Amino acid sequence: MTNMTQTNITELANRRCADRVHVRSGAPHSLRELECKPPELADICAELFTEAGYSFAGLIVEEETSQWELRYVFYGGDEAGWVHVVVRQPAADIAFPSISSEVHAADWHEREAEDLFGLVFEGHPRLGDFVLHNDRWHENLGPMRHSFDGSNPVTHREPDLDWRPHRIVEAPGAFAMPIGPKFSGVTESVHFLLETVGEDVIRTIPRLFYKYRAVEKIAEGRAVENALLLAERFAATTAFAHALAFCQAVESISGIAVPPRARVLRVFLAELERLRHHAGAIQEICESTALVVASNQAAILEEELLRLSGVFAGHRYLFGVTAPGGLSRTFEGTACRAVVQQAQAILKRLDQLEKMLRTSSSFLDRLEEVGIVSERDAKNHGLAGPVARASGVGRDLRKAQPYSGYEAFAFDVPLEQEGDGYARLRVLFAEARQSVKLMEQAVASLPGGQVTAADFKLKPGAALGWVEAPRGATFHWLRIGDDGRVTRYRLITPSFANWHGFHMAAEQFAFQDFPIILATFDLSVAENDR
Amino acid sequence: MNEAGIFIQLFFGLCAAGIILTMLIPERWCPKALAWFGSAASLALLWSSGKVLLTGDVFHVSLWTLPALGTLTLSLDRLSALFLVVTALVFLPASVFSSGYLKRYLSHYSLRAFNVCYLALFASIALILLGGDVLLFLLAWEAMSILSYLLVNFEHREETHTRAGYLMLAMGEAGTLAATFALLLLAVAAGSLDFSAFSVAGKTLGSGVRWAVFLLSFFGFGVKAGLVPFNAWLPRAHPVAPGNVSALLSGVILNLGLYGIVRVNMDLLPMTLAGPGLVALIVGTISAFVGILYATTENDLKVMLAHSSIENMGIITAGLGAGFVFTAAGHPLLATIAFVAALYHMTNHSLYKALLFLGAATVDAKVGTRDLDLLGGLSKRMPWTALCFLAGALSISALPPFNGFVSEWLTLQTMLRSAELSSVSVKVVFALCGAGLALTAALAVTCFVKAFAMGFLGISRSTQAEQTTEAARSMTVPMGLLAALCLLLGVLPTFAISILGGAVKPLTQASAEDALVPAFFASSPAHAQLPSEFAAEFRDLGAQVGQQIMPGQGLVVMHRGGAQNPVVFAMSTSYLFPVLLALLGITYVVVRFGLARHRRVVRKPPWDGGIRRLLPEMTYTATGFSNPVRVVFDAILRPTTRDTGETVATHFRAAIRRDRQEVHIVDRCVVTPLRYGALKIATGLAAVHHGRLNAYVAYSLLTLVLVLVLALTIFGS
Amino acid sequence: MVNCMSQWVRRGLATGIKTTRYPAREEKAPGVSPGLPLGGAYPEEQACELVNLCSTGALSWHDGQLVVDYHRCVHCFRCRYGATVPIGWQEGYEWAAVSADATNKPWQPLGPAFERSTHILVVDVGDCGACLNEVRQLNNPYYNMHRLGFFITPTPREADVLLVVGPVTDHMRVPLQKAYDAMPTPKRVIAVGACALSGSVFGPSFVCGSGVRNLLPVDVEVPGQPPPPLAIMHGLLVAVGRKPSASLVSPTPLDTRESVTPL
Repeated sequence: MTNMTQTNITELANRRCADRVHVRSGAPHSLRELECKPPELADICAELFTEAGYSFAGLIVEEETSQWELRYVFYGGDEAGWVHVVVRQPAADIAFPSISSEVHAADWHEREAEDLFGLVFEGHPRLGDFVLHNDRWHENLGPMRHSFDGSNPVTHREPDLDWRPHRIVEAPGAFAMPIGPKFSGVTESVHFLLETVGEDVIRTIPRLFYKYRAVEKIAEGRAVENALLLAERFAATTAFAHALAFCQAVESISGIAVPPRARVLRVFLAELERLRHHAGAIQEICESTALVVASNQAAILEEELLRLSGVFAGHRYLFGVTAPGGLSRTFEGTACRAVVQQAQAILKRLDQLEKMLRTSSSFLDRLEEVGIVSERDAKNHGLAGPVARASGVGRDLRKAQPYSGYEAFAFDVPLEQEGDGYARLRVLFAEARQSVKLMEQAVASLPGGQVTAADFKLKPGAALGWVEAPRGATFHWLRIGDDGRVTRYRLITPSFANWHGFHMAAEQFAFQDFPIILATFDLSVAENDR
Repeated sequence: MNEAGIFIQLFFGLCAAGIILTMLIPERWCPKALAWFGSAASLALLWSSGKVLLTGDVFHVSLWTLPALGTLTLSLDRLSALFLVVTALVFLPASVFSSGYLKRYLSHYSLRAFNVCYLALFASIALILLGGDVLLFLLAWEAMSILSYLLVNFEHREETHTRAGYLMLAMGEAGTLAATFALLLLAVAAGSLDFSAFSVAGKTLGSGVRWAVFLLSFFGFGVKAGLVPFNAWLPRAHPVAPGNVSALLSGVILNLGLYGIVRVNMDLLPMTLAGPGLVALIVGTISAFVGILYATTENDLKVMLAHSSIENMGIITAGLGAGFVFTAAGHPLLATIAFVAALYHMTNHSLYKALLFLGAATVDAKVGTRDLDLLGGLSKRMPWTALCFLAGALSISALPPFNGFVSEWLTLQTMLRSAELSSVSVKVVFALCGAGLALTAALAVTCFVKAFAMGFLGISRSTQAEQTTEAARSMTVPMGLLAALCLLLGVLPTFAISILGGAVKPLTQASAEDALVPAFFASSPAHAQLPSEFAAEFRDLGAQVGQQIMPGQGLVVMHRGGAQNPVVFAMSTSYLFPVLLALLGITYVVVRFGLARHRRVVRKPPWDGGIRRLLPEMTYTATGFSNPVRVVFDAILRPTTRDTGETVATHFRAAIRRDRQEVHIVDRCVVTPLRYGALKIATGLAAVHHGRLNAYVAYSLLTLVLVLVLALTIFGS
Repeated sequence: MVNCMSQWVRRGLATGIKTTRYPAREEKAPGVSPGLPLGGAYPEEQACELVNLCSTGALSWHDGQLVVDYHRCVHCFRCRYGATVPIGWQEGYEWAAVSADATNKPWQPLGPAFERSTHILVVDVGDCGACLNEVRQLNNPYYNMHRLGFFITPTPREADVLLVVGPVTDHMRVPLQKAYDAMPTPKRVIAVGACALSGSVFGPSFVCGSGVRNLLPVDVEVPGQPPPPLAIMHGLLVAVGRKPSASLVSPTPLDTRESVTPL
């Protein structure tokens, strides 16, 4: 994986689109914007993705008054920085080339853009019936377009009697067993079709967006403080991470300097959330294998962390703590130290739990060699977070593109190679340990001063805010208009990437392994569906 | 000639009249004519053979005497009468069924030919069972083979049908040849072709000849009965025949193979060696297992039923084998039990298999397909057919209170009776075969749950299944009759056992009533089998309830073992059935009018997880249902699977294809090696035909010399 | 192997009893609840500032009283930490109230037959994950709803209580209706969380409703975003009849505003 330096990018740009490279000024991280013409798009993206080793963050579609602007965001480690490949076309021209064959991670981004904007990606073999289910919605609705009024309900057509699930397995006697959208005990609503001939599942087809709330659409026209509410609440199990990404985007647009105390406290709170989230993920994995005692032990730890968060921040899920410019209120060092002490005690019990799980062979039997994702597949599909790191794809935004002062902290990014359920579990435990380490460092180095920037003004503009959320790399793209209201809010979440790659782990296994594989992937439907 | 004889004559007369009338009437009246004449002939046959079976009034008539070949005789003893009763009980509903079913062939194939073949087949089958000497038997047998071939190949324009029919004919002829040799061996020993002379002469035969007779007759008639390893024709021939013919093939013609085995080895040459019985037992168990395994993994209704016939024939043969072993070991009572079990199973099988085949034919006629993966939801649209098929499925799965339960139970109990034998190795074989039969019973339940559930329950998987309607009464009433008979034979086993025992008694000299159906109600202790304190125990349990209205014989099937194995087995479906009804009734009344009096019952669609519409492709298919069986018995089925993926663009898979090829185990292990061996020999021999003229001249010289030498040695001395 | 199995037993025993004594005794541990704003008599100036600060219009000023519409409070804490004089705050968690919707029937809890054995069907119609996570905590050793006889069931056929979380998204309308229809009577519906009560910040829109009561008859409402597990437990106890309904519901009838105006 070669890291491209600035000169290489320039060379690439010169080769492809000579005089159309722009460098963002004033950004702490290097950002190169390559404007390219549609025919060159696929090649440039392929080169960045495969040869230069960039990761694909996502596709941002913006409808401007007379043109479409499609922004493909790539990022690498350190000097490689950010590369935005931008394609612009007049408003009437809605056909764009598809890059999904070269950069497969863009597959679902293009499908979403087709469904919500009405764009056509030529060469993509499977457009349609993605966000807006075909058996309930009209075609060509284009709800994300400015011309569409998002506040009124839409009359639906009659259920399409000819709708059939898109099946891939052709074998005599094959059928697609439906699961959901309401299934199991307390689960999010998602629909699966397991294609099988009877004993083992050959292919999994998830049907998502049952929880589609059109957050990107309803954010448009809101004031920034109210859009922050949306950012916090659309996937509230990692509320703080999303709120932080949003705030960083605002601060980036308006050039606000966040005071050092706020930055360290933000790291503190982010790691507290990561610790609590990972305890919950471990609890779900234990529950899926029906190891009840371990599941309850992990649940105790999760509840204690929730109570700890509630005591510290006033809300168990850390709502209302962060705001553009810093934090919404201050936190004393003594309170932070008390939290760290409790977190250390919890970590000790978490370590004990890990040791006990490692020696439970019946538990490991269900996880080892189950739901394997190879490193190549993980990279191609653009998987994120602990899931990707368990398959050896190790990019962590806290190290690759540090934000909020992470560069000053010392911590490891745990990496495993097997890519099975057990590897994903080990990564969760290891990351929890690193989180406590970060919290200790934060408390030890807590500077004094303000927790919010002095009076600042919101400027119009657009920027990307990013965060390594507990589930993986998260990107919030924000464009603020002249009136200080949001004109475009794009959410790129780690669950979106991981749901895309879930089917690779969920193939050629027996029925009873399905809930376990699902639990080890730690997917959030709310985060994916937005 | 007694009354039975008169009705036999009436029977043949009706068949002949039917054939003549068919030539005269317009073609569209043929199905109706067949129904009338077929049922009338069945009733006549039923009356005559029933009389002989129940009263023991045997009937023996000599027809013509042919020079140098002997006299053709008709002889109706209780054994033949049993088989004739079963034949008539199957032909009756099949004939009535034909009137509605054959309409679909009206302008495609000749219905006149069908009528003629059908009635002639009926007559030839009766002749086989009535045959009293070798010649008549074989003539009738050949006629039956040819006529059944013609009927199987009725839709002669289909290539597969012709090939299947031809395979049946060819293998049948090979079997007939072997059986003929067996009969001829006996005839040579007896010096006459008459069956009645064989039993006398048989006593002097040595064990070598006995083995030869057994093996030739067992495997020869076994081809007709569909036993492994010569049953390759069965799964191919039964499905391609028209529906009513399939019912006859399974319900009547398979029995003829059994009749041959039973006649030769129980009546003409009673068993004195233990070995042949074990051979029959093992072959029967293997057939049963292989049959049901392939039935469970099969999706075509009729092919599945054909494989299931193999299974049932295997069970019957296993019972017969057990009987042979007991006879040879000198336990006539146990032998009686075994034979009664086997013949009871044969009767039951004929009834419920005919029922199931008629049901499959109805489904095929109304829906247009037999593939279980395309059926479904038929119970709402064809309720009577579904009910009858359910009765058949419950019977064949050996569930009380239907008849299959009684015979299967008796067969397994017979296996357990082997504890009274002395040889350890024989007991081990019995134990293993008993376990094998138990396994087949379990698979049979799986198979028919799949058949009924996938075919009739759930939602329809194709538009044809969705839009079908109930069949005509001429098709549902015969099925109902068979279903009622199944229930009757299941609920009144003691009467059936007495009747069957009457057929078996002349052959084993022991009474089944004594062995299996003790009389609890007899006021006199005539049945010394039951010690008084033992009987008293049962009376205390209430076995004498209803003594005034019940017949003298008991309603409990019970056997008390001998001194070495004093184990009692007992069951009574006769008591079970009313108790079951009573419990269900009481529960219903209590719940409906007591507990849930104020509750409202609301009908709602089934919960499907909240999806918008449950599509047929989201429901379990028959393949999926039987997949666990496929996986568990992978070593026997040995399929070859190949997964091919097809991508439409990098990373986008358009299709994953799974191809699966399977070769039947019998084909793999027996037919293919035999074919290979035969080809090798033939190729080797073909080396002789090399075309060199000089060598051919030398062959002639060689042959001449050989003949001269032979002549000198034979005629010179 | 013996060591492996017994280690769990030992660990379990060593952990001791963590379960709360609620509902027998009040739970006073810190962090169990985020609390809710307190309405009542406030000076007009402070009240006006608070009303303006509220991001969802949950606060309103009527006849000298600051009225809190608990269906709309999304726990943004602006009235607590962003105001010059913070609003009064109530800790505690007994927030569940019987729905004031006009069905004109007196409230009937499920009754004594269900008091110790209730089966709950949880349907997620667009929830963000927090309410669902709090529902999951209900069966952790701290709360252990099994001791109160509450069980989660995956099938509506066995369910007595339908617990709905999330603003009703368009795609989930049909499954929610089907789940409700598939439940036998007697049944009760509990709407948990601000999204289920009013759509909170998401609805109404072209894909999102403004609460469950527009689709199903709601019996018990549990406000909060998310309501802590004890509040949900209180809601279940109200539905079953073991606890009285809270009096947190605003005395005025609910707003008939159809959309949340961005401020």
